[in-house]
Amino acid sequence: MKLDCYQRTFAHSSSSLTPIQLPAHLETHLWYVKPSEVKNESLLKQYLDILSPRERENVMQMRGEELRKSALLARTLVRTTIARYQINSQINPRSLKFRKNIHGKPEVDWQFSNDSLPPPLHFNISHTSSLVACGVTVDSQIGIDVEEKHRSIKHTVLSFARRYFSKHEIQFLASITDPQVQKLEFIKLWTLKEAYVKALGKGFSGAPFKTFTIRFKEDSIHQASEIVVDSFDEPTELTSNWQFSLLELANSHYAAICTEKHAASAEGKRNVPTKLTVWKTIPFVVDECVSGTDAVKTIYG
Amino acid sequence: MASISATFVGFGASVNLSVRTDNQIIGKSSSLVSFGLPRTGGFPSIRTSRLQICAAKPETLEKVSAIVRKQLALTPETELTPQTKFTELGADSLDTVEIVMGLEEEFDISVEEENSEIITTIQEAADLIDKLVEKKA
Repeated sequence: MKLDCYQRTFAHSSSSLTPIQLPAHLETHLWYVKPSEVKNESLLKQYLDILSPRERENVMQMRGEELRKSALLARTLVRTTIARYQINSQINPRSLKFRKNIHGKPEVDWQFSNDSLPPPLHFNISHTSSLVACGVTVDSQIGIDVEEKHRSIKHTVLSFARRYFSKHEIQFLASITDPQVQKLEFIKLWTLKEAYVKALGKGFSGAPFKTFTIRFKEDSIHQASEIVVDSFDEPTELTSNWQFSLLELANSHYAAICTEKHAASAEGKRNVPTKLTVWKTIPFVVDECVSGTDAVKTIYG
Repeated sequence: MASISATFVGFGASVNLSVRTDNQIIGKSSSLVSFGLPRTGGFPSIRTSRLQICAAKPETLEKVSAIVRKQLALTPETELTPQTKFTELGADSLDTVEIVMGLEEEFDISVEEENSEIITTIQEAADLIDKLVEKKA
């Protein structure tokens, strides 16, 4: 088995990115940065420099240094991550262009001089003030969401669920008696629902939270084996197109990843486990493969 | 000393202005700003730091600001204008839906999902709220 997950790689020079192969057909790459670990002012200036003028403007509009930093790191992470794959020999993160699809989902605007088809690379980012993540796939739509495990909410879990979640999900949460466990399950469910909506790419109103249920399917011995989505609007064939992973990152965050299954695969719609590789990075400085370490705990998937 | 704040409506062709002082609307104009003299005498002091472009009532704007401040745990020093985007204040999607919930509770309205996406600033929230409240009446 080819191991493309090296332990820790330091950049050759202060402005280089360690190149990496595109994820394979059923593979997902996840890259994340912890803003608290990026303190070097000249490094942050370097990051600012690779952004487009518009992105720089957006970063500077954020109110407060912490918010500016995580906004900066979000754009930096997207640009440097995609640049690593050296598509069409393009290695400069600064030269990447982005656009939004018809529903507002960001995608790469590949600048090819000839008529070649754009590479089927897909990405999605999510950020909290304490962690910024970018997921990458090939040939498959992807949506990710990260949340702090212990994030506070102003409303009670159940009032929130009653307003936004489906009946089944409300029942699931209501059946949990321990309030702390209930809160954690709520956050997990939120990230899964967000990841699904982001994968669909139609925006919050394109797939209102109440119109679909995310639940844990149990196997023959009543163990939760799979996360599935049921939608009131979409027929079953379409919702079975999606698969989920739920992770605990760095002991502090839940990360949900939703990707498309491939109907064209020989196994059909049966759930084929996807390979997930996770890197913690400080772009231009160090990349650390954290799959299989304590930093990444798989909850489902 | 009376203070006058000028309010404009929208960017569209028809510009409706109402100038108010001490909760009394004293005049409307369809051109740019025109100020009336306050009845209480003295020179009006005009809040020019931010000319507010809005259709919503000032009370609505204030209530929305208060809800946003609470939800995002903003420090009192954080200045809010009607054009302030929630995302600029660090609101993520969970914050935004909680803000919508807070607004629904405060104003006893119901915001459809399609509308929750267009609420990205204090202004937009206030405009929608006033519209929904008016519909209810």
